Amino acid sequence: MNQPELIVQLQRGDGQAFKKLVDEWQDMVYNTALGIVQHADDADDITQDVFIQVYQSVSSFKGESKFSTWLYRIVVTKSLDHLKKKKRKKRFGFVQSLFGAASEEEIHPEEFNHPGVLMENKERAAELFKALQLLPDNQRIAFTLHRLEAQKHQDIATIMNLSVTAVESLIARAKGNLRKILQDYYEKNII
Amino acid sequence: MNRKEQIDKLVDDTLNSLDGAGRATPGPYLFTRLNARMQNANEDVWDKTLRFVSRPAIAMAILCLVICINALVVTRNYPAKSTSAATEETYASVYEYNNSVAVLDDVENTEP
Repeated sequence: MNQPELIVQLQRGDGQAFKKLVDEWQDMVYNTALGIVQHADDADDITQDVFIQVYQSVSSFKGESKFSTWLYRIVVTKSLDHLKKKKRKKRFGFVQSLFGAASEEEIHPEEFNHPGVLMENKERAAELFKALQLLPDNQRIAFTLHRLEAQKHQDIATIMNLSVTAVESLIARAKGNLRKILQDYYEKNII
Repeated sequence: MNRKEQIDKLVDDTLNSLDGAGRATPGPYLFTRLNARMQNANEDVWDKTLRFVSRPAIAMAILCLVICINALVVTRNYPAKSTSAATEETYASVYEYNNSVAVLDDVENTEP
């Protein structure tokens, strides 16, 4: 069954088609969400949310853009919503910590290790992910889609609803900012 | 290699640390978990309400509330029944009034 057929089956509410879709796209959805939220359990929840939304709103997919683009948009939106919620919770956690009620993870999140990164790069990648958290959302999304999902500038532009030039500029700024953050970090931490 | 060069190399290595990274995969049985979650979401309001009400803590709380309301109603009504004299007078006056109205009606009906 090719992709347009699968979408048609899904629009008819076929459970088997939905299973096939989940099997085919789960790694892409999870990997993108994980790159953005940097937390395995949260990425798993987002993956489930994304597929539930796909199932509920696939009838609104008209096929004007690629299915992957539509799916990436949902993942990015869900991941950013999740981060906003988490930020609010963190602020509340800080207030709670003043009264001794917040959990340790809410205040000091643990270091993130992406499971797909090569063993020899794990330590450096953890620093990179930490630095990524300090970037504005649009730079972080563009950089993550480009480096973790190997998306072309043209595709990122369609996903983010921007021009190709804007995406190129975002990625260049992201790299520049990451360089500055990492330089500061290593200057303070290298003897 | 001086310090600045050393830092520049570290920064470049860090920026390139995602080279060759594979895709991360979600935990096993994603579809099963997804299905369970969707079924929970599809549960209708009555199922959710019944499940909520049948929790022991909630059921006990509702039972206590009903007993309290009953007790309150009984204690509020009990003193009203014991004020015998005043109530009897009131009843009597009401009956008299009703009688008088009936009589007036009769008188009115007798007129042509």
